[in-house]
Amino acid sequence: MRDIVRLDMATGQVTREPLPEKWARYGGRALTSAIVFSEVPADTDPLGPGNKLVFAPGLLAGTPAPNGGRLSVGAKSPLTGGIKESNSGGQAANALAKLGIAALIVEGKPADPGARWALVLEADGSIRLERADEWAGLENYALADAVKATRPADDRYATITNGPAGEMLMKSAGIAVSDPHGYPNRFAGRGGLGAVMGSKGLKAIIVSDKGLKMVESADKQAMMAAVRTFANALTTHAVSGTALPTYGTNVLANIINEAGGYPTRNFSEGRFEGVEGISGETMREITVQRGGNVKHGCHTGCVIQCSRYYMDKDGHYKTKGPEYESVWSLGADCGIGDMDAVAELDRKCGEVGIDTIEAGVMLGVYMDSGEIAFGDARAALDALDQIGRGTELGRILGDGAEATGIAFGVKNIPVVKHQGLPAYDPRPIQGIGVTYATSTMGADHTAGYTITSNVLAVGGTVDPFGTEGQAALSQGLQIATAMLDTLGFCIFVAFPVLDIPEAFGAIPEMVAAHTGQASDVDALMDLGKETLTYERLFNERAGFTPADDRLPKFFYEEPLSPHGAVFSVSDADLDSVHAFVPETAQRLGIA
Amino acid sequence: MRVEVVLFAHLSSFQPDGLGGRHSRTFDLEDGTTIAGVIASLGLPDQPRVIFVNGRHAPESQVLHEGDRLAIFPPVAGG
Repeated sequence: MRDIVRLDMATGQVTREPLPEKWARYGGRALTSAIVFSEVPADTDPLGPGNKLVFAPGLLAGTPAPNGGRLSVGAKSPLTGGIKESNSGGQAANALAKLGIAALIVEGKPADPGARWALVLEADGSIRLERADEWAGLENYALADAVKATRPADDRYATITNGPAGEMLMKSAGIAVSDPHGYPNRFAGRGGLGAVMGSKGLKAIIVSDKGLKMVESADKQAMMAAVRTFANALTTHAVSGTALPTYGTNVLANIINEAGGYPTRNFSEGRFEGVEGISGETMREITVQRGGNVKHGCHTGCVIQCSRYYMDKDGHYKTKGPEYESVWSLGADCGIGDMDAVAELDRKCGEVGIDTIEAGVMLGVYMDSGEIAFGDARAALDALDQIGRGTELGRILGDGAEATGIAFGVKNIPVVKHQGLPAYDPRPIQGIGVTYATSTMGADHTAGYTITSNVLAVGGTVDPFGTEGQAALSQGLQIATAMLDTLGFCIFVAFPVLDIPEAFGAIPEMVAAHTGQASDVDALMDLGKETLTYERLFNERAGFTPADDRLPKFFYEEPLSPHGAVFSVSDADLDSVHAFVPETAQRLGIA
Repeated sequence: MRVEVVLFAHLSSFQPDGLGGRHSRTFDLEDGTTIAGVIASLGLPDQPRVIFVNGRHAPESQVLHEGDRLAIFPPVAGG
């Protein structure tokens, strides 16, 4: 039995209700998007009482499904103005699932905007909202320590916390989730959801799962058989079994740079001369030398283990091993080729509570304005510090790349639907441009990761420079990703799933064994289509039109070195990506 | 002819000078040498790989030319 828990910030009341039957197949992203679609008026003020912040563990969270403990966080985004599902690792999803919670919905607005609150979910099922005014303004790591001081020494709990950027309602604010060690270093980063949490006065959510058993499956034997098949594929595939656990996600830096798609100095070049200083290989060498952990999962149940801890020169924990996107945004996009400098910036983003992608893209734009110089890591750190302190400049920068570009008169602002572009230039990698342009989320590589076939030769190959097949590739991956986000899987399972048929087959087997309801690949793809349909319709109602499904003009007009490529996928192809939406809406009865 | 060869991730240990690292080495090759020929001479493991010549994907059958940059990766991904 799974429940919805509601917290009304206007009254402080917590209520619990059974998950409606119509959403019984849903978890994670399908559930956050269905709830936001159904309960949040599309024209509502994202920081007003009408918005709702929804936390939903994936359908298989809390079970033995490998890499199945991801958390979806949904709301209307203050950054994009559309629907948002921001996905995070960390320990919270499994803990919520073990408490029988399908979704936690935070709604309404407290009467006193100066008050701070903490929601505590105990392992015995009790839930209480506590005043936490003394935590106002705390950065995430100090907040994690403050939470720890309130817990019994032998407790086992996860935290979901909001840094000062979120309290100040900044549009690049993300929500931190604790990792297995308790560090608040996993993030539902994108789309400014920290500002939504801040608007509700919620500083922290604490979820204890001490002593709780895993979520039981309808057919345990069948579940374990499918789990074994899946885990075996994940640990033997060359990418998820070797490259990711050895080097982490930043193993991508060299190959994307080699392909000429590594956006450098605000997307003005496709290769960064300083890539060696910040590559995954270099990061591993430094980390090993300093005694840092180079292989662990971001949540219990992860068998890929691409997480690591970056240590300072004295061998002390500095930050999580920054992910590929963070190293790129705070590194190459700013012309910074020093790993320690990047780690310092990454830690600052984590403390202040801002999305590392948006922060780096913002800094690239800010540097492009000439206010500070490309490559000036000290000035970049000061800029992030100003965000945390809420200075006049910091409040502009904290609203992200577009706000900064407008304020400082920058011509090339790399955003779609007001959200900064991630770490792959869409000119020499056209497929990812289709995803950036058409995703319901704004520019988001994870929404349909065409880098697989465009560059990495995983799941077949599609010529990255050509226009043919890019829309179909992006569409298929956007649907499949929405499905994985719904089940709670880390999207890195896609690498073995795309290459190993038994791995793909194990997913419907796990779903069927867990839920007791028949499942197959078509049924799973329907989950993905339904999720995207809720999102697409919400965005239409929020005022988005096909004109919002385009890249900024400079990607069409300014050739990128070294290949001289421009983005050239046609508008008709871009508009074809969501062709399945009307039919799916009809089937759902929400047309 | 001279060709720049660069090997990434764990393949870097297969550079003939044994020094590892991701910096490129200059190879003096006979005209008509293919990528497969370079792979054989390096003794790379018989595993899937991703190959670029001058930043573009290239099949192992491709003949190399003076001044080319050949980059070889094991299967990698992230994101």
